[in-house]
Amino acid sequence: MAGFLRPDGEKSPLLSRRSVLQLGGGVALLLATGCAAGTKAGGAGAPATAGAGTAAGGAAASTLRIAVNSYISSWDQDFVGFDLIGLMLHKNVFPYMIDYGVKDVAGGRILDTTAVGPTFAESFEPDADNKVWTLKLRKGVKFASGNEMTAKDVKWSKDRAFAAKANVAGIYRLIGLTKADQVEIVDDYTVRFRQEFPSALTRQIQAIALYVFDSEEAKKHATDADPWAKEWFAKNAPTGGYFNVEKAVQGQEIVLAANTGYPGPDAPKTAKIRLSVVPAASNQRLQLEKGDIDIALGIAQRDIKDLKNAEGIKVISAPSNAQLTIQMSVTTAPFDDPKVRQAFAHAVPYEQIIANVYGGEARACKSFVPLDMPGYVDTGYPYTHDVAKAKQLLAEAGKTSVGSELVYESGNEEQQQLAVLVQSEARKAGIELKLTSLDPATFGERREKRNIPLQVTMGELWVNDVEYMLGTSFVKDANLNYSNYNNPEIEQIFEQSHTVVEESERAKLWLKVQEILARDVPWVIVCQPNFNLPVRAEVAGWVQPMDGLARLRYLSIAK
Amino acid sequence: MRVLRFVLRRLLQLVPVLLGVVILTFLLVRVLPGDPIKTILGPNASEADAAAARARFGLDQPLWQQFLDYLGGLVTGDFGTSIQSGGAVASEMAVRLGPTLELVVIALIIALVIATVLGIWSARRAGGAGDHTVRVGALVGNSVPEFWLGLVLILVVYSVLGWAPAPSGRVDPDTNLSLITGADLLDAALTANGPAFLSALHHLMLPVATLVIVIVAPLLRSVRASALEVLRSEAYTAAATHGLRDRLLLRGYLLRATLARLPALAALVFGFAIGSTVLIEYVFSWQGFGQWALRGLLFRDYPVVQASVLVIALLYVLVFLIADVVQAILDPRVRI
Repeated sequence: MAGFLRPDGEKSPLLSRRSVLQLGGGVALLLATGCAAGTKAGGAGAPATAGAGTAAGGAAASTLRIAVNSYISSWDQDFVGFDLIGLMLHKNVFPYMIDYGVKDVAGGRILDTTAVGPTFAESFEPDADNKVWTLKLRKGVKFASGNEMTAKDVKWSKDRAFAAKANVAGIYRLIGLTKADQVEIVDDYTVRFRQEFPSALTRQIQAIALYVFDSEEAKKHATDADPWAKEWFAKNAPTGGYFNVEKAVQGQEIVLAANTGYPGPDAPKTAKIRLSVVPAASNQRLQLEKGDIDIALGIAQRDIKDLKNAEGIKVISAPSNAQLTIQMSVTTAPFDDPKVRQAFAHAVPYEQIIANVYGGEARACKSFVPLDMPGYVDTGYPYTHDVAKAKQLLAEAGKTSVGSELVYESGNEEQQQLAVLVQSEARKAGIELKLTSLDPATFGERREKRNIPLQVTMGELWVNDVEYMLGTSFVKDANLNYSNYNNPEIEQIFEQSHTVVEESERAKLWLKVQEILARDVPWVIVCQPNFNLPVRAEVAGWVQPMDGLARLRYLSIAK
Repeated sequence: MRVLRFVLRRLLQLVPVLLGVVILTFLLVRVLPGDPIKTILGPNASEADAAAARARFGLDQPLWQQFLDYLGGLVTGDFGTSIQSGGAVASEMAVRLGPTLELVVIALIIALVIATVLGIWSARRAGGAGDHTVRVGALVGNSVPEFWLGLVLILVVYSVLGWAPAPSGRVDPDTNLSLITGADLLDAALTANGPAFLSALHHLMLPVATLVIVIVAPLLRSVRASALEVLRSEAYTAAATHGLRDRLLLRGYLLRATLARLPALAALVFGFAIGSTVLIEYVFSWQGFGQWALRGLLFRDYPVVQASVLVIALLYVLVFLIADVVQAILDPRVRI
């Protein structure tokens, strides 16, 4: 018995056993009471969503609620990683000088990459040689700080982009802008860009890159160690775009308010947009069904099928220029043999993938050039699912069977389904595939080594042009050229295309490109999946972005 | 004083332990395949751009230099800069740690109370229907994956019954809660923000319930086993046969002795719960430490991985230290 009692004569510890138990019990009781109170608040008074729902839903008829699957990783567009939610937000909160127009296609509206026009700027036009471009700013456009947007802000922003040696500096090389001193201030409202060569891509590249910081504000936060105020801009949202960030609750919610001072065409249709972070696609679906959100940006393909018939919900389905492909390493056996590549291209069950993985919501693509890109011809990819033909081509290569690894992104359900279907059909042709899923960093490193024999890739080009496609995907050492593809004819056409501005002349080059790629077949072009967006029935105005970055200013909601 | 000396000694022992963790994590994260720089560069980045990015994060330096810089930073509380976001790791972690700790601590406290009450109740009715029900119930709770359980609770309590708020955050943003610690309930209490306090409690309801169901089983089994042992001990039998009142028997003889083993197990469960929050945070849009650390690992964000492992190690050591102290207070046989 003595063992359970404190021996006499000992000094009392800081906390007695009884007080520890009493304290623990008290805290637990307090919390249990609190939880009960919380439950009552939802259960008795109103549907529980009243906590969040009333605030959001009842805030204003002009408030649009969008669920996204992650919070922005950084507000600094010059230094941000590949974060699609972040880049989409940047597109809406940075003042972009120019942007794509809008056109109607088959009952829907899409961004028109052939009609780039001024938005915050007054004009952006070239000289007769298409080498010197002049940006004229509108007068009286202001950032939230009250500072007027002038040429010095554009110059400071471009100097910063060149110093960053990251996103903008990379794409500027394609149009012959490599040094900060190629950007000159002419007067307070005029900036000149002197390119090293004329380029047909300038408008599209500048539509991506011509965003402007409030340089006066930035300088207040710059230090000797951080002259470009990177630390400040990583945490603080830019101002002066179509929307200003009214509130940002780290990890949870971002509230955008329309910038009433926007001077250009297509002003925001909705006064306020609330973006809430809901990582799980299933939760986005539940919230959409209950009416707690209006748009679910990040829902799974399988949920979309069910939501098409759900009450109060419509699914916007728009043709997209995103391409689903399987890249073959042309320098790694067995795909270093063109016959084996052609055999594999015939072993892929294209129609089955469109039907089973995408429920028919994808378009067959008959060229390496994406559908809707100027220059596309439907003879550019003459491969259909034909196991007998695949076997025959394999035999012509002197092989009866080959083996390979097929790599796809871990956690990507669609790619996994695709890989399984391809594995099953390829086996019939004598191509045995081992499926491997990799996390982003490992995938990135293996891609860098250019030795993955087969890999699934999915993406859309930010510039809707074959020159850009070649520069990013098919010339030697291009960043997305995971196939390690290298063809002197393609290199020559690419070089030539830099200075060919005439559309008809470019079309001839692109025809040749498609002939060469069809013969060499470094990639399998699987299909172009549609973009599907489930929204509440009251949502209107969606414009399909050809770069994948939603322009929120077109959206409206009728409540 | 003895307790204070013990705590001080253990805190000093922390230094070599954490140094070992720092060295191991620093090396292991770099052994992992994957290049963090490649994940932040655009499709048109050149080798020169990659080299510039590497230099920006000090990754162009020799490994020993990188380590010394990292260690030097740690001494001044600088955990480095996140490669993915470009923000300071310390400030990112500060807003992520609070929500996760709040979730885990509340769930653990509730689980401990439930385990203690039900464990003793069950042991006193050993072999009976109630005892079996409690044991089977705990086993089922323990067997259910937290991810699935969370989704089911959301489906039933939010979607069907409408009793829980939408799983899209930790507190209603319209309550304008000021951020102090990142633990919303605590922040609401500190700023006397009543609506935010209630909202935070409301949002905590389902994730806490999920975590409690997952972690309560081992605690309950331990309490029950200890209680049975005490009930069958000579000391308890002697006390009972002397006709002591039931209340005295329970409080003076059974409860204290039964709980003596619990702190060490609770510390272990705390570690398990921190791990479990990764999925729970995902399901409930919690935006806590687990999701932040996981993203850091997926993208090989070295400073984020290093900081998260270090903090988890620190938490483990501190929680075990607290468990040892509590155990010594509860059980005088333990000398510290």
